[in-house]
Amino acid sequence: MSGFMRTTLRSRLTILYASLLAAALLLYAGGVSSFFLHNLHKQLDSSLDRDVETVEGVLSTDPGGALTISAHDGEAGHGERDHGYLLEVWSLDGKLLYRCEGLNGQTLGPVPVSAVSARQSPHSLQLPSGMRVRAISRVHHMGKNNAVIVRLAVNEHPLWEEFWEMVSLLAIGLPVTVILVAITGYLVAGRALKPVDAMAQRALHITAEQLNERIHIENTNDELGQLGAAFNTTLARLERSFEQLRRFTADASHELRTPLTAIKSVGEVSLSMPGDVNYYRDTIGSMLEEANRLTHLVDSLLTMARADAGSIQLHRTGVNLYELAKEACALLDVLAEEKQQDIRVEGDIFVAVLADRTILRQAVVNLVHNAVKFSPVNGLVRIVVGESGKDAVIEVHDSGPGIPAEHRAHIFERFYRVDRARARAVGGAGLGLSIAQWAVNIHGGAIEVESAPGGGSIFRLRIPKSV
Amino acid sequence: MGYTEERGPKVQILLVEDETKVGNALSAGLQAEGYEIVWAQTGEEGFFHASSQSFDLILLDVMLPGRDGIEVLDTLRKHGNKTPVLLLTAKDAIEDRVLGLDTGADDYLVKPFAFAELSARIRALMRRNQQEPPASLTVGQLEIDPTRRSVTREGQRIELTAREFELLEYLARHHGRIVSRDMLARDVWREGSRATPLDNVIDVHIARLRKKIDDPFAIKLLHTVRGVGFTFSEDAS
Repeated sequence: MSGFMRTTLRSRLTILYASLLAAALLLYAGGVSSFFLHNLHKQLDSSLDRDVETVEGVLSTDPGGALTISAHDGEAGHGERDHGYLLEVWSLDGKLLYRCEGLNGQTLGPVPVSAVSARQSPHSLQLPSGMRVRAISRVHHMGKNNAVIVRLAVNEHPLWEEFWEMVSLLAIGLPVTVILVAITGYLVAGRALKPVDAMAQRALHITAEQLNERIHIENTNDELGQLGAAFNTTLARLERSFEQLRRFTADASHELRTPLTAIKSVGEVSLSMPGDVNYYRDTIGSMLEEANRLTHLVDSLLTMARADAGSIQLHRTGVNLYELAKEACALLDVLAEEKQQDIRVEGDIFVAVLADRTILRQAVVNLVHNAVKFSPVNGLVRIVVGESGKDAVIEVHDSGPGIPAEHRAHIFERFYRVDRARARAVGGAGLGLSIAQWAVNIHGGAIEVESAPGGGSIFRLRIPKSV
Repeated sequence: MGYTEERGPKVQILLVEDETKVGNALSAGLQAEGYEIVWAQTGEEGFFHASSQSFDLILLDVMLPGRDGIEVLDTLRKHGNKTPVLLLTAKDAIEDRVLGLDTGADDYLVKPFAFAELSARIRALMRRNQQEPPASLTVGQLEIDPTRRSVTREGQRIELTAREFELLEYLARHHGRIVSRDMLARDVWREGSRATPLDNVIDVHIARLRKKIDDPFAIKLLHTVRGVGFTFSEDAS
């Protein structure tokens, strides 16, 4: 089978169809032949029936009780030979009364013992000489108390000759038909599969650099068209993720370069300038600050890389979302206090999910941190815990400037920033939301964003209540 | 900072680290803290030193050419060597930590680490068999009573929030030494993940604490060491 599987689809299809056709034809030929044979026998039997009656008509007994074959004898005898008829006549008590020459002393069956067993419908039998014959046996009454057993047989040779002629005709015709169909099938399959070849050739030429190319689809309705469409969809997805990756690489290298540039330039400048201990201390401190920034960035990237690799295992326990929100608030409320912001946790205090507390906490902390960061002085940050359908929900409402619609789709991308110029002043590497989204997604949930320009934003974190 | 053990001979540390720059910096830093350092640059050399001489502590880099840190540690433990080992590793996946601790390490530190943190970990390991720190802490005229959670300076009682008190207590316990933000995040805020950005939160708390314990007084105790962290000391430098 594995050898069969290694051949091309085209030959496999052809072989499959040809075998199916051959099997069907064989079945058909078998049926036809046996029906034909049956008919031939039936014809022979009915003529045998007629002939035995003719023979019975010419049989008579002379007054002495001896069997005579009447005037038609010659004719009948002639007929016998002509048609290969073989005749035997027995008395009821098992005495042979007549046996034609054609039999050459062979008998058409055992010596009859009774009238009942003597009656036999047409049946085939083989004579000792090897000749196959069809024989019939009858009890013939000639006047009262006088009956003989008539056995008439006819050579089956012509019948079998006719049968084998028919079979050989079928035997020659069948393979020829199968071969013809196989060749045609091979050609047709080739034609039908040609687009696959074309697609394969095209796909081979599509590399990471030209993912915008698509496969040409001739017929969108057939299976190959669907395959091509699926392939094109995959290509589009690939193109998108490559684009994202490209942007990520560019952004990441930008983020890594900025602190490196700072370290280098601060170091070089202070080396070239004479200064006192405090000046150098300050320089080194400034360089270390940038090194710390790099460390945090690399840590976040590592967390994300590990998340991407799927190598983080969830340790689920029952987590009360209200408490979690309270905890995130307690951690960050000093930042809100510094900006005289009002930060509140509201809603259902009993909402709980089965989740990895540390990971989920990270998401909530990041969202609340953002809300505090982007809400103005004297602003309001509300965290509302509740349920909606099958999900547990935490909403983080801020009173910030809102997120313009064109940025909303991108804010969860790594390093994406609505306002690049402000980013460094506000702090953070632009990974907070991506990490939050990953943390929620891994629990089977999602983060939704609602924002009206000038009206603040709502980040809605949904977690399925049942795992 | 001139840290020395109060009595007895100097603490001897075997440092196994192949990176020349890191090795030099760590040796110099630890020597300045009063430790005696033997520096081995390969696993074989480290193993040779560890088995031929007695140390108080081994600082073992995991990624070493030839024989790696875990292998060296494993062989040492199999030979019955019970010297405390602090692993220095660039791998911080949970499995790596577990592997290290299972092999018999006493602690681990993920690179890049702040020198202040390394120094604190070493002191913690050295302290393990010694008595608990004194119940009451005094730095300058600032007194901290951990059991009553009260703070007084020059006789004046200072009201602190719970978090501020913990922060002050931690700084005071490490007085005279630098405490990094990472150490505070882990030990005071008990934040396991380095990905949670707590720097702003810590800075705000430090500012508030400073307002309460330093602003009304002439001598400042809480100092910021730019790029590294904070130090709690009467000595401004």
